Amino acid sequence: MQPDNNDRSVEDSIDRRRLLQALGAGGAIAIAGCSGDGGSGSDGGEGDSESGGDGGDGGTQSVQFLTMGVGDNIKQFFEENNAAFEDEHDVDVEFTSVTWDNARQTVNNRVDGGEAPDVSRWPARWIPQLVGKNALEPLDGMMDGEFGEQFYDGVAEGTMYNGSHYGVPWAASNKCLYYNKDVFEAAGLDPEDPSLDSWQDMLDAATQIRDSDGSVPALGLAGADAIETGSQYYHYHWSHGADLVNDEGMPVVNSSGAVDALSLYTDLHLEHNVTQSSPLSSTRQDIRQLFENGDLGMVIGHVYTGLNITAAKENGDVDFDYGIVQVPRGPEGRYSLFTIDTLAILSQSEHKDLARDLIRFYFDEERRFQYSKEKGFLPVVEAVGERSYFSESKNWGPFVEAGQYARARPKLSNFSEFNDRMVQAIQEALADRKSPQKALNDAQSDLEDAME
Amino acid sequence: MSLAEEYTETSDNSRLERGLAYVQRNSRAYLLIAPAAVFLLAVVGYPIIETFRLSLYQSPADSNIETFVGLQHYVEIFNSDIFYRLLWQTGRWVVAGVAGKTLLGLLIAVHLKGDIRGRKFFRTAFLIPWGIPYAISAVVFRWIEHPQFGYLNAILLKLGIIEQGIGILGNPSLAWLGVVVADIWIGTPFMAIIFLAGLQSIPQELYEAAAIDGAEKWHQFRYITLPQLKSVVLIATLLSTIWTFVSFDVIWTMTGGGPISSTATLVIHIYQVGLQNGNLGRGAAYSVIGFLFLFVFAIIYLRIYTRGGDEL
Repeated sequence: MQPDNNDRSVEDSIDRRRLLQALGAGGAIAIAGCSGDGGSGSDGGEGDSESGGDGGDGGTQSVQFLTMGVGDNIKQFFEENNAAFEDEHDVDVEFTSVTWDNARQTVNNRVDGGEAPDVSRWPARWIPQLVGKNALEPLDGMMDGEFGEQFYDGVAEGTMYNGSHYGVPWAASNKCLYYNKDVFEAAGLDPEDPSLDSWQDMLDAATQIRDSDGSVPALGLAGADAIETGSQYYHYHWSHGADLVNDEGMPVVNSSGAVDALSLYTDLHLEHNVTQSSPLSSTRQDIRQLFENGDLGMVIGHVYTGLNITAAKENGDVDFDYGIVQVPRGPEGRYSLFTIDTLAILSQSEHKDLARDLIRFYFDEERRFQYSKEKGFLPVVEAVGERSYFSESKNWGPFVEAGQYARARPKLSNFSEFNDRMVQAIQEALADRKSPQKALNDAQSDLEDAME
Repeated sequence: MSLAEEYTETSDNSRLERGLAYVQRNSRAYLLIAPAAVFLLAVVGYPIIETFRLSLYQSPADSNIETFVGLQHYVEIFNSDIFYRLLWQTGRWVVAGVAGKTLLGLLIAVHLKGDIRGRKFFRTAFLIPWGIPYAISAVVFRWIEHPQFGYLNAILLKLGIIEQGIGILGNPSLAWLGVVVADIWIGTPFMAIIFLAGLQSIPQELYEAAAIDGAEKWHQFRYITLPQLKSVVLIATLLSTIWTFVSFDVIWTMTGGGPISSTATLVIHIYQVGLQNGNLGRGAAYSVIGFLFLFVFAIIYLRIYTRGGDEL
């Protein structure tokens, strides 16, 4: 997908040393032959406006709005609403969208280069790192008042770090377990009452599917070298009473519950043989695609998996029925990985009032409804979530219900590094290179070193 | 002053004068290229210096604070197991890739030089892989090798050779081979074209004389083609080694360095440490080490080349 740039050449009043440093960092990678992504601000191209933001046309103030992953399904939403905001406030919205692949690097380069946007959307898990850079403006003033009361409590808490709100919840997503009713029926399972309450139930059903036919893998398991492998596995981890970090923020990934969880995850493939072949080759997207094609019995997925299948069925591309149940419970409970994206104001912004106006504008209830509906993210505003469109929908209903089991990843400044190490441990166990205990012990040791 | 001294002085003076006169004559040309030279120094020289400077600082992802740590990054890198595993994996990737591209390129070039039917078509066709962006080729190969959606597994399944799809890129022992195959496919056309140009510059009379003397094809190849092609092979493999060493797109697109970091090379690790995890200082230190490796390698290689030895 292409970034929708409204690039404009503007005077810059940036910290040159910081910009050069960011360019230098790009140079480091240029030496290594991968400078394509390294350009400072190359995705945006807009500098901070001269003396705080004249838009270059002699008088109109401008506000820079950076977001990620604006695809064709939602592009028009932003175009129309940005135009409406421009008319309403007589300002110029410099809107930039970058792909998720480039998002983190773009944000860091722009912040480090002194060219931060005024308003930006990003995952809540990035907040600690950006707070560490003093890059974010606390938004307690907004969130503690009437404006903040419109959000679900859990969602609002997701934007907090060190006791302050550093963002406004923009979007949320969680997961449920999908199952293919046709596959269940063919295996002699009841498609209307699948009995998938626990991991053991899921394994029993998967075993029956495996033994009945074998033409379709019973369960999708992610194991590729990607961040999402962790996000698929953490359901197992948490439901066995294991955690990732303790209250002091130190790693605790090798508890006995964690070993049980990883043992279950790997046994699904190595011992029970109920997964697709070679989970280590499969990303979360791969197994979702398999399920959406009708070539998989079960998968843990987002709401848009169901929306995609519904659309594909309407187009005549696929013809199978599916059901959605909660992610199975483990010995210590049931969890659904909760991801929150926030809208934040950058400390470098010289138009913070305008930035607040832009945020308030986008939290008009009708706009929020349109956004959640078109984008396929859970509503973050209670009034929107209570609308029948969501609460009574076959696709949305289970995900709204799953809100009560929601759990987010820990907020760590180096979570990316943390997650990479966890994915490596998962892979080592899945490849049968190490026992789950050994894989997690090694991960614990490395993570302790990394977090010293 | 002796005649010899007078001659030397005159000669030196005239050389200096000639030099100055040359600069004066071409002053406009020097002025015209000056902006480009300054630009190059800024965009090539500055990043290298800045990278080295960064490598001496602690620059964690979550802080603006830069702490001078001297050579600490280098010491930690050289004391880590990861570094030596990366060296092994990088070396394996470079040697297998360059060897594959060189041998295949030579084979193709030799055949394209011959009078085969459709020679023009094949010469054009062999250029196509090189014309496709690396990332796109890598995506294609990732799909070809995919255990559920890939052509390779589909064919093997149809032929009954395997019972279920093999995840080459998901196998820690095989993944690097799956990636190297893609890299060889992408890089071979360049080698073939370079070798073809080299082959066409070899005088035909040498082959005719050898044939008259009764030399077999293999002997002609061994004693005429290879020695005549030596300089071309050296330059082509030097370039290919550098490009393969710094290659990022193919590995990143196909495996992201996994599984279990089994396909990670030095460059992939630099990206992960420096940009993904935000540790610019450590990433810069790895970059400097990689740069020095290539620099030393290029010097050694070029010394061999300019010495005119008979290494081939």
